[in-house]
Amino acid sequence: MVLLGFATSLGALVLVALLILRGARCRYAKLFPLFYSYLVYLFCSTVTGYVVYWTRPNYHASVYWLSYVLSIVVEFAVLAEISDHIFQPFPAIRSLGRALTIAISLGFGAAYILPTILGSHSMQIALLDFALRASLTKAVILVALFYAARHFGLKLGRNVAGLMLGFSIYIGVNIANFACVEHFGNLYASILWVISPMAYTLCLLVWTGALWEFAPMPRKASIAPTTGQDSADVALELVRFNNALSRFLNK
Amino acid sequence: MITTIYIVIAVLLLVAIHVAMARARSVEPPERATEKEFAPRFGQANWLDLSERIFDPSDVRWLRKDLAFPRLANALADARKQLAIRWLRALQASFDALVRTPDFGLGETPGSPSVSSWQMLWLTVRFQFLVSYALLVVRYFGPYHRLIPSFDWVPFPQEAAPRIQSPVYIDNRNVS
Repeated sequence: MVLLGFATSLGALVLVALLILRGARCRYAKLFPLFYSYLVYLFCSTVTGYVVYWTRPNYHASVYWLSYVLSIVVEFAVLAEISDHIFQPFPAIRSLGRALTIAISLGFGAAYILPTILGSHSMQIALLDFALRASLTKAVILVALFYAARHFGLKLGRNVAGLMLGFSIYIGVNIANFACVEHFGNLYASILWVISPMAYTLCLLVWTGALWEFAPMPRKASIAPTTGQDSADVALELVRFNNALSRFLNK
Repeated sequence: MITTIYIVIAVLLLVAIHVAMARARSVEPPERATEKEFAPRFGQANWLDLSERIFDPSDVRWLRKDLAFPRLANALADARKQLAIRWLRALQASFDALVRTPDFGLGETPGSPSVSSWQMLWLTVRFQFLVSYALLVVRYFGPYHRLIPSFDWVPFPQEAAPRIQSPVYIDNRNVS
């Protein structure tokens, strides 16, 4: 079990390194800054964990849990990156993804995550609850982004679709895992430490495949320009539509 | 029990995203016939005149009070209600087409939305909210109901207001 966990973790580290190298070589880091920052954090924290494990084994548990809690928070950067890219070509809703991510994170954070941390008596249960509820919040954000994209009939590019697919695998497995640990306790805990890294490695494989080549977001070719298509024109049209509707509502 | 719910949520998330991905790869869904038929066309000024007629209660009132044909007046009010719903839906469809208009310029760097992009989002959300509310009121109370609030408190970007002359609706459909 320990060997399998170690091998999976090492495989994940190699994939992260591969993604970072590819991103640096092809300058994708400029296009996906939050995502690559997250990968760099992930690489550094894993390498630090290994170094501490070999040199100062007594501190390893503390370092591991600290980086684990931080990674739960830092994972929101991937969602922020996805949300920025889905609506990026469309000036009228360019900030919709970011607005949804912030609103859901704050709402769930205040009403769903924070109470369980403050009200928990055991550190272990608090940590498990935090991980579970943060994963559920991320799942809600992913679904909301998908729904918004479908509502406006937007097509996802290969890169963003891959990011979403990989992350959804990781989040879905995490939710099921943490719920099982809460229910079955130590009986399931040993399985968790294998399944969770495997899900993450699968997620990294999907990300590597999706981000190997840059694919710009698809745009609808059938759209005819009205009066030129810069942001100012779209803004003016938006005001016109709002004015036209307000005229009838004011009657 | 709660564990089962969480596992169901996890499975649903995976299934929903995989199904959505598969659908996204398939052909775009065709536009609804009603939207295509009634969507305002570029430069069509009389389209607004039509809406003036739809939302004007004078002829229904004339039928009911002056000519004393209450049944006919009710039938006309019903027909106007359907027309008002279709008009609002067409306005919504036209607005959605505008929202889906891509920026062919350089655009903004992802992750650093400017103030204007947040303003545009506000206008988009405001319109979607107002048109949904208007559809709800028209559907349940009819096109002549006075319960529709003015929404004067909702601010407009002042710099754009003087440039507005008359509404122009975009159309991304291949209409003859």
